[in-house]
This record gives sequence, C-alpha cells and structure tokens, in this order.
Amino acid sequence: MLPKGKILPLALVGAGITAIVIFVSAVVVISWFSNPPFGLGNAPPQPIAFPHTVHAGPVAQGGMGIQCEFCHRNVTKGAAATVPAVEQCLFCHKTATGGAGTPQAAEIAKIQSSFDANTPIDWERVHRLPDHVRFVHEAHVRFFTQGTTLETQLPVGEVCSKCHGDVASMTEVQPKQGQSLKMGTCLDCHRQNSVPTDCTICHQ
Amino acid sequence: MATERVNHKWGMVIDLDRCTGCQACVVACHAENNVPINTQDRFLQHRAYEWIRIERYWEGEFPNVKARFLPVLCQHCENAPCEPVCPVYATYHNDQGLNVQIYNRCVGTRYCINNCPYQVRFFNWWEPQWPATLRNQLNPDVTVRSRGIMEKCTFCIQRLRRGELTVERQEGGRLDDKTMQERNFGPACVSACPTNALMFGDQRDPKSAISPYFADANEHVHEEDRKTRAYRLLEEMNTKPNVIYLKKVDQYPLKLKQGEQNG
Repeated sequence: MLPKGKILPLALVGAGITAIVIFVSAVVVISWFSNPPFGLGNAPPQPIAFPHTVHAGPVAQGGMGIQCEFCHRNVTKGAAATVPAVEQCLFCHKTATGGAGTPQAAEIAKIQSSFDANTPIDWERVHRLPDHVRFVHEAHVRFFTQGTTLETQLPVGEVCSKCHGDVASMTEVQPKQGQSLKMGTCLDCHRQNSVPTDCTICHQ
Repeated sequence: MATERVNHKWGMVIDLDRCTGCQACVVACHAENNVPINTQDRFLQHRAYEWIRIERYWEGEFPNVKARFLPVLCQHCENAPCEPVCPVYATYHNDQGLNVQIYNRCVGTRYCINNCPYQVRFFNWWEPQWPATLRNQLNPDVTVRSRGIMEKCTFCIQRLRRGELTVERQEGGRLDDKTMQERNFGPACVSACPTNALMFGDQRDPKSAISPYFADANEHVHEEDRKTRAYRLLEEMNTKPNVIYLKKVDQYPLKLKQGEQNG
C-alpha cells in the first residue's frame, strides 16, 4: 500500500512517462509513413518563380501545352532529364517578355540578365535520389513509350507523371506526388512490368 | 526495338604471356571506379586499395633473374566463399555470373574479406578523400563507397549496363566482343591494356574470344588434360572462378643450377 500523500506525484510521473512514450511513437509512426516526414524537403524556394501551369498546362486552361521533353531535352536521350539551358528559355522569352510592369515581367527579366551575365540559373533540385541509386530516364521513357511487351504505349507526358505526379497542374513543383520514390515503389513497378529486379540494375 | 533480354554470362581471360606488368589496368581501374588514392600511409598500414593489382614474382637469382607478373582481380567465383558468410546478403551471385556487392546493404562485418582466398575485397576504414583537383574526375555512374563499406571489382558493371542499354535496348543488337572493344563497353582494365593481355566477353556467346578457353577449362577438370594453356587461380579450392589465366610459355627459360626448379 502506498502512503496517501505520494499517490498524486506518482500519478504525475506516470502521466509524464506515458506522454513521452506516446509522443516518441507518434513521431516515429508519422515519419515512417509520411514522405517527406513533416513536410521537410517540400518544394525548395526557386530563384525564379517558374509556373509549370503556364508552360505545360493544357491549352483549355490557359496553359501553353508544351511537351515535357521539349524543355527537358535529355529525358529521351540520357540518364538525367536535365534542366534546360538559359539560352533555351530565351528561344521564346526573347520576345515573350510578359508585358511591361507585370509581376511576371520581373521574373522573365531575370533570364535575360542571367544570360547577359553568362551565369547559369541556380535551380534548386526537387526530386533527389540517394547517391547509390542509378536511375536512367531514357530507359524508363523508352520502355513506356515504345515497349513491345506493353498493351498500350503511353505519350511521354503520361510517363513522366507516373513518378513525378501531374507537374503541369503545379504552380510550384512539389516532390513525391506521383510516387514516394522509395525503393519499394521502384520494385513494385518493376515487378508489375516483369522487368528484372536484380540489385545491380539500380545499385552499381 | 528489341526488348528481349540476352542472357549474358561474363568472363575474363588473362594471357600471362602478354602481360608486361605495366600497371595501366590498375590506373584505369582507379580512375573508372572512384577508388581512393593510395598514399604512403595506407601502404604502410597494409590498407591500400587496388581492385586489380599486379603481383610480381622473381624467378632465379641475380644476375640470372626474370620477373613474372600476375594481374589479380576479383575472380567472380561461381562457388564464391565470400557469399554464404554475409549475414545481410550484401554480396550475392547475379544471373550474369557476376559476384556483386550491394553497398547500401553492407553493414561492414568483413566476414567476406576473411573468407576470400584471393584477397581482392577491400574495406573502407576511412571516409574516402580525393585532392580537390581530382574531385571533378569522379565517375558519376559509380557509387562513392563511404566509411564502413566493403568494396571490390565489379567487372565495371556500370559500363556493361550502359552497353546493354545502348546496344541491346536502343539499337536492337547484341553486346559482343566487337561492340565492347570499339565502343568501350567492356571493363576499364581491358580497354586500357596495351598488349591485350586481358580479354573480356560473354561465355555463352560461341563467337566470343574467351568462350573456347572456358569450354576447355570446364570440360577438363585437370589442368594437364586441357588443350589450351588455361588454368584458374587456386583451382584446388573449387571456387570455380569466372576468370581464366593462360600460362606463360617462356621461349628462353633460365639456365638453372643443378637442383633448382624452374617455377
């Protein structure tokens, strides 16, 4: 039997320990199932407020309907999808300056000044894989666009959205919308399409 | 568009008659695979990394002496002693006959190093460092192994995969000896060898230069029965390596004193 005066402090200690345990397990559970944990790593601030909605969005909704591979040119050629060169932005933005005094005109002017200063634009990377993963964009795009084992061949834009989500409807590109880009999602897709799942396919 | 996958089984043949011990393969391997630079400290600590090394033997006694060279790399054994001892399956045999090491699975128990009879596995005791001038030289296709990870020769799997991708998937051809030589899809040591002492190819491709040696060595278990000069390192251990050595045939053997043996 506990002495009468000590029940209250003991109950407080017990409640404190329970609260700590619940807090720690909640943190663990949330960070395990949410990706990225607590929204960390979401949409880094970019040097230029580039809206994908205006460029890649469907024409019916006021976009330009530009194909993904028109700007990300290396996506059908090599491992990296690549961000377009400043020069390539100026193909259009030499003339499309957005109208004087508008907020987008100030953003577009940054491209011209970057081109004049001969310095690239420091885009922040949104989708990042660990160093020990080797991902070849070209192979994946080719498999879905030209693969003979598939029932239907997809256009390039739909292949992109399989992993990246519907980027054309994002004003600010958010990571991990289509897929969590964890190894499990890679393996699921490889198994569904009966592609080898040997470790050395990705880890070299 | 060929989507059918060719089932390769890679193998290497090393002709000791042609090897001059120039170490070009060692340099090429270091450059290709992001292998840390071996400093004097590391050598003195016996912890130098060389995925492929040239072992040197002296025959005879000065002045009547000859140097013999033996390039040793991971033998990619079919019966690899390193594989069953790994507690986390970080090293295993893949369907192309390669003994592969998965760096992100490795926990660094070093059991595999202790069980390897060829001493071709290396443990990262430190975080690898390169001088600032060499940092841009690192190969982006190869993982930089961090501290606490085991590493070894991969037969330059990144180059083989690139070859399969471009030659077989994109162009619909076959990754054979000719394409590997002309377009540098074979291992870096093979591309670098000035005397073509190292040969690399597909054992299952009957047209490849290495397949007769493998057929011969697999057919005749005993070395003396073989029709070619093929032999394997430490054959008595039954590790069944995928690397075959061709014996050196010396036209001018050393004149030995009585009682000495020619080794």
